[in-house]
Amino acid sequence: MLVELIDLTKRRSPFLLLAAGAVLFVLWLPEFWTFVFIGGLATAMVALSVGVVYGRTGMVSLCQFSFAAVGVWVMAWLNVNTGLPFVVMLVLGGFAAVPFGLVIGLLSLRLRGVNLAVATLGFAAASLVVLRRNPFPGSFSNQAIKRPTGFVTENGYFLFSCIVLATVVAALAMISRTRAGQGWLAVRQSERATASLGLSVARVKLTAFSVGAFIAGIGGGLLGGQNGVVSQRSFEPFDSLLIFAVSVLVGARFVDGALGAGLLGAVLPELFRKWGIPLDVAPMLFGIGVISVLSKGADGAHGHMRHAWSEWRAARQGGPQGSTPSEDLEDPAAATPDVANPEALILTPSGPRGSLELEGLSVSYGAVVALDQVSLDVRRGEVHGLIGPNGAGKSTLIDAVAGFVSPNSGVVRLAGVDLAPYSVHRRARMGVRRTFQQGRAIEEMTVGDYVQFAAGRALDTGTLARILRFFDCPEARKRISSIDVATRRLVEVAGCVAAGASIVMLDEPGAGLAETESAALAARISEVPDRFGCGVLLVEHDMEIVRTACDRLTVLDFGSVVASGTPESVLSDQVVIAAYLGKPTVEAGGVTTSGAGAKR
Amino acid sequence: MLDSALSGLPSGGAYALVGVAVVLLYRLAGVMSIAVSVFGAFGAFVMVASFDRGLSLGLAVPLGIVAGAVLSAAMGLVMAWLFPDSDAITRSVVTIGMAITLLAVSSRLFGDTPRSFPPLFPGSSFTVSGVVVTATNVLAVVLAIVLAGALWLLLHSTRIGVRMMAMSSRPVSAELLGVPLGLYTVAVWATGGAVATIAPILAAPTRQADFTSLSLLVVPGLAAALLGAFRSFTLTVLAGLGIGVLEALAVRWEAISTYRNALPFLVILVVLMWAQRAEVWDDAR
Repeated sequence: MLVELIDLTKRRSPFLLLAAGAVLFVLWLPEFWTFVFIGGLATAMVALSVGVVYGRTGMVSLCQFSFAAVGVWVMAWLNVNTGLPFVVMLVLGGFAAVPFGLVIGLLSLRLRGVNLAVATLGFAAASLVVLRRNPFPGSFSNQAIKRPTGFVTENGYFLFSCIVLATVVAALAMISRTRAGQGWLAVRQSERATASLGLSVARVKLTAFSVGAFIAGIGGGLLGGQNGVVSQRSFEPFDSLLIFAVSVLVGARFVDGALGAGLLGAVLPELFRKWGIPLDVAPMLFGIGVISVLSKGADGAHGHMRHAWSEWRAARQGGPQGSTPSEDLEDPAAATPDVANPEALILTPSGPRGSLELEGLSVSYGAVVALDQVSLDVRRGEVHGLIGPNGAGKSTLIDAVAGFVSPNSGVVRLAGVDLAPYSVHRRARMGVRRTFQQGRAIEEMTVGDYVQFAAGRALDTGTLARILRFFDCPEARKRISSIDVATRRLVEVAGCVAAGASIVMLDEPGAGLAETESAALAARISEVPDRFGCGVLLVEHDMEIVRTACDRLTVLDFGSVVASGTPESVLSDQVVIAAYLGKPTVEAGGVTTSGAGAKR
Repeated sequence: MLDSALSGLPSGGAYALVGVAVVLLYRLAGVMSIAVSVFGAFGAFVMVASFDRGLSLGLAVPLGIVAGAVLSAAMGLVMAWLFPDSDAITRSVVTIGMAITLLAVSSRLFGDTPRSFPPLFPGSSFTVSGVVVTATNVLAVVLAIVLAGALWLLLHSTRIGVRMMAMSSRPVSAELLGVPLGLYTVAVWATGGAVATIAPILAAPTRQADFTSLSLLVVPGLAAALLGAFRSFTLTVLAGLGIGVLEALAVRWEAISTYRNALPFLVILVVLMWAQRAEVWDDAR
């Protein structure tokens, strides 16, 4: 951990210098301004909590100042009733906000988007009612919250606040590198894809809200120490709306953005006061600012700056750095083991290796029967193709195996184990993995980070590079947002095998690929079972890929199996040709695939 | 029991009206507007300010309603101009920006101290089987029901309504078919603003009436709209009236009476969690 810290310090050294300079500057300022900047740091904490819940996890929460209020309230109560040291009260205040965060987090498991926004605003309004009834302890008896010993002066307390913020930021950085922390970004993009990577969506969301509430609670506690006696007027619903707007305006996902938001929210009004500009001009500007930032894309001012900065850096360093990994790729020594020893890439399985069996599986949505008594098995070491016209039930079948829909009847087994009692993320952890047609690799991550994340374990760079090379993926440090959707699907496939999956279900991995690319993909897919020791269920419309890659083939039509067997026998079956490939048009040498299935 | 339930009706009617405005804007403009009660409070304050300057109530009320409608329409044009293809979340966050800005502007214009609002029908009340019913009680309920009914009829059985629904679901196709987008945007937002203005005018005489508090009418209004699934005017009106009655009944129960304004939140929680119990996954596939 110490090594990591030192490493981080080295990478961030220009920022740290800048921060140290800023701290010295504030210490040099007159006391009043130091006091104002303390408020800026405390507000930055609340902005950071918005950054965690909304910026990273994508959940609109309009009650972050209510969590802050819980923090102050508990602190004020402890201050009146106990003699605990300040730091202990601060931390207890933060923890006291966590249960409230968990309650809202529980709501977020079912409410999303505007519904969640309304519910959190409702919570903010309700907490205002409660707060009016139960003012902060000590606010009438004038028992001010005492600042920590040794940090009583404005300068002292400012330094203390800096230390608290730095600690929280460091802790947050560590949490962000855990699986749940990385899951925040995943949930923001797609909950199904997150669960398919073996993460519990509930746990990811609850972590985000608890961490957010804790940070906001600490921020509230800092406000308590700043003012001594706190007024409930600083914790009203519109304060939560305001900090949300400012956080969106600046882009509070990262620490520097949150700091900017905090300073903007707390220091700008005071500057206005000094310059004789009416105070309420500040919120007017924030409101207009957030609207204009949003009209230019949802990233926030800080997001735009960060983007410009990374492009500038990439442009500067592009040449030499870009070529190093590709030289490594062409290194014959590194490539040989793959060819010589196909087993080399078989990774420790994440669950039981064995075949996937579906027996009499039926799924219906209301009156519509999507799957009717489907039985098939995918053996370890084979590619099993699943074809059929649109609406035949292929995606439903994948959903049922992955656990997204529960079958009306029938059994799904992996290596003889009935999967029915297991949720989506548990099935994924047992080794049933899938990809998505839309390409659900997480845009904010690099290719390497994503595959590591999907794998759910640390892969050494050699293994990672070989997996990526096997699937013709872009190099590991490339950002997923910069690659096209067809390639993103390949990265997802790489993630599945890197996880040591027993069964990999590929949902149209070839869609959108050029002909030569899809031929290469087909060859790769046919090698996957032997190389990675798994079975593959391949849903594909591209008949060339199906012919090349599949060992066996099952055809679905209207939810029922109409044929299965080897590709040659199935594709020449008259029933299949009629049902799926369209009218047989005998041209020089075969059947053209002009039927209903070509979803390109 | 009955009289305290009835005493909740003016509030309930106001919540229902805000809810109706929210549903209208959501269905026809695709915006879950947090600012809708700020438009309403603005209109209500224009009304009380002009009343205080000697304008008669009969003129001040329409003036306030027009002010709320105009402000709302202006914001609708901003939304249509800057965010024609944005998703619902982005548009909602935009309304947060609008709310913050307008709140600051309005507290500059009107001050942030509570104003005393004139009752619309002073002294007119009658007794039904021992329970006193004021004209405001009746009006609140009747207005909420009538407006919701009128909007429902407009949407479902007139040509304009059909065109409006077409506009909200497929703006580009609708425009290609000759639907005048700008005009409809103004119409929809102005109607929403007007309805949202009636709410605080009805509710203000019986509650703390500073600008921020009136803007917070949006919370029970949103709760009502949410219970109507942002779709059904009928359910929204019933939910709004129900929340008002619930708050009024809570007064009788001492342990919770001081927290009665927190009830809408609890109602949202319980009903929503039940209604959405099957929504295990998000829409992104």
